[in-house]
Amino acid sequence: MRRAIFTPAPRRRRRAALRGTLLAIVMAFPAAAQVRSTIFGPGVKRYPVAVSPLKEVAGGGGGGQFTRVLGRDLELSGLFRVIPSDTYLENAQTSGVTVESIDFANWSVLGALALVKGAAERRGDDLTIEARLFDVSQRKQLAGRRFRGGAADEARMANRFADEIIQFFTGERGPFDSQIAFLSTRGGRFKDVYVMSANGENVRRITNENTLNLSPAWTADGRGLVLTSYRARNPDLFSIALPRATWTKISSLRGLNLGGRWSPDGTRLAVTIEYDGNSEIALLNRDGALQRRLTDHWAVDVSPSWSPDGQHLAFCSDRSGAPQIYVMDAAGGGVRRVSTAGNYNTSPSWAPKGDRIAYASRIGGRFQIFTVKSDGTDVRQVTNNPGSNEDPSWSPDGRYMVFSSTRRGPSKLYLTDASGANQAELTEGNGSDSSPAWSGWLE
Amino acid sequence: MKRWWVAGVMAVAFLGVVAAGCSGKKKGSELEGGQGTGLSDESLTGGSLALAQSGRPGAADSGPLRDIYFDYDSFDLDDTSRQTLQENATWLKDHSDVRVEIEGHCDNRGTVEYNLALGAKRAAAAKNYLVALGISRDRMTTISYGEELPLCYEETEECWSRNRRVHFVVGGN
Repeated sequence: MRRAIFTPAPRRRRRAALRGTLLAIVMAFPAAAQVRSTIFGPGVKRYPVAVSPLKEVAGGGGGGQFTRVLGRDLELSGLFRVIPSDTYLENAQTSGVTVESIDFANWSVLGALALVKGAAERRGDDLTIEARLFDVSQRKQLAGRRFRGGAADEARMANRFADEIIQFFTGERGPFDSQIAFLSTRGGRFKDVYVMSANGENVRRITNENTLNLSPAWTADGRGLVLTSYRARNPDLFSIALPRATWTKISSLRGLNLGGRWSPDGTRLAVTIEYDGNSEIALLNRDGALQRRLTDHWAVDVSPSWSPDGQHLAFCSDRSGAPQIYVMDAAGGGVRRVSTAGNYNTSPSWAPKGDRIAYASRIGGRFQIFTVKSDGTDVRQVTNNPGSNEDPSWSPDGRYMVFSSTRRGPSKLYLTDASGANQAELTEGNGSDSSPAWSGWLE
Repeated sequence: MKRWWVAGVMAVAFLGVVAAGCSGKKKGSELEGGQGTGLSDESLTGGSLALAQSGRPGAADSGPLRDIYFDYDSFDLDDTSRQTLQENATWLKDHSDVRVEIEGHCDNRGTVEYNLALGAKRAAAAKNYLVALGISRDRMTTISYGEELPLCYEETEECWSRNRRVHFVVGGN
């Protein structure tokens, strides 16, 4: 276990990284003139950025994964166009990495408006990466970070720096230092739980159960998952602590114990349980005891999703005759319908920022992703793609969603920004991937 | 309860037991080799999940009780279903020591969670009807599998209609 050597940069701290290796951010370099969010918007072309290979200090290697992952994240964000490295003119080992020593003409000739340069030092399992962001035409440093950790942290360093760059240009932290949990049949007949980085890399298998596992969701602190599993031959609610993947039963009421969703403050677990065949939404305590029944209606009521302030829940109900999206108070009253377009709307997901609710709407026998403001106004269609597009889950910055789509055959996970203009396939390979859940930021 | 109505339906059921195909729902013709009707090994040792875990395909109408089927997004019992439940109730009364697990299933349209809830309603509807026919509630349990254990995977109405079912598993436990 590595210890932080210096105090991390002042931002809200969470707990240790899920891999058990503490990543220390040592120093932040002062930012120069800041370019703000007017650069980006619908219809604006991607900002061209060059990501130079890092200079390898002390001959220890390292840095290749950093630049590759950084480039991938910047492209996935939909905001940047990474200029291909085979067009670069410089020798990264011999050229300068600071504002005084960089020949910016070598980069402006490629059309780059922004440039990332830096150095990597690897000694044994210790890895230090120093990365800086420059404005090419103004010849100024815009941002910089030094990361220290283990060699296994290199991808995460890149994800953090990508979020840093996105924050610099848009004013909002980027989403990539986070994880996505999902179900997949890539390893067998049954769906098992997997976790990957938000950019689709580093897929790790969490369960190997040979039973039905459904609807994973993250705990509020991101240290584990809650899901429904038939491992005890009934749809019961379990928690899985990560990284060891230890199971604990939370609720095994007769019938459904479905779709556990932790409140943002981690004190209440919204679930769908069953009263004589009728599904209802209820709240459980942290110990799994029934705290409060929230719905009391003959209709199907499923799929609770918390508002970011923990005061409301969105859910799906067919009380009007067909499934629609509703919002209610966290105490159960004040039920109002928010989905007005379409006659079959399910799977609500309340954005952590921006007060929109994403959901899946059935059109022509298939599903598309929509968003709506929580007051029911301003419906927007996000996907208009072949296949069925379902199960949206928001990124921690509230600007992206992950969802499942059968547009190219077996279900795979896709990333999209909230507008739907930038969609990218995140998972590949065998089997069927579904039910994604996007975590909060790792730290 | 509605005893007069129940008695009338039972009379019809005895007459109509052969005419179950009127709505186009097939009997379990996709049974794999070796399985007959009546008390088969599958029906005694487990239901659809146990079959899937051992790598064997599920089958409609395996065992002594026949499946019932539903319209899309519905848990209503149509006439055919009620006839089938009558027959199932008769068998259960003749084998009063046997317990039964009632499984609710859906086709794969709609979302996983919604279909789990719908499957629960279908299983409960079947159970409640059997209770109304005089079967003890204590003999029956329900479980929903939603869309998770289909009999077929084609994106056709023929396949979907086969998956929108309640399946009965008799057993000793």
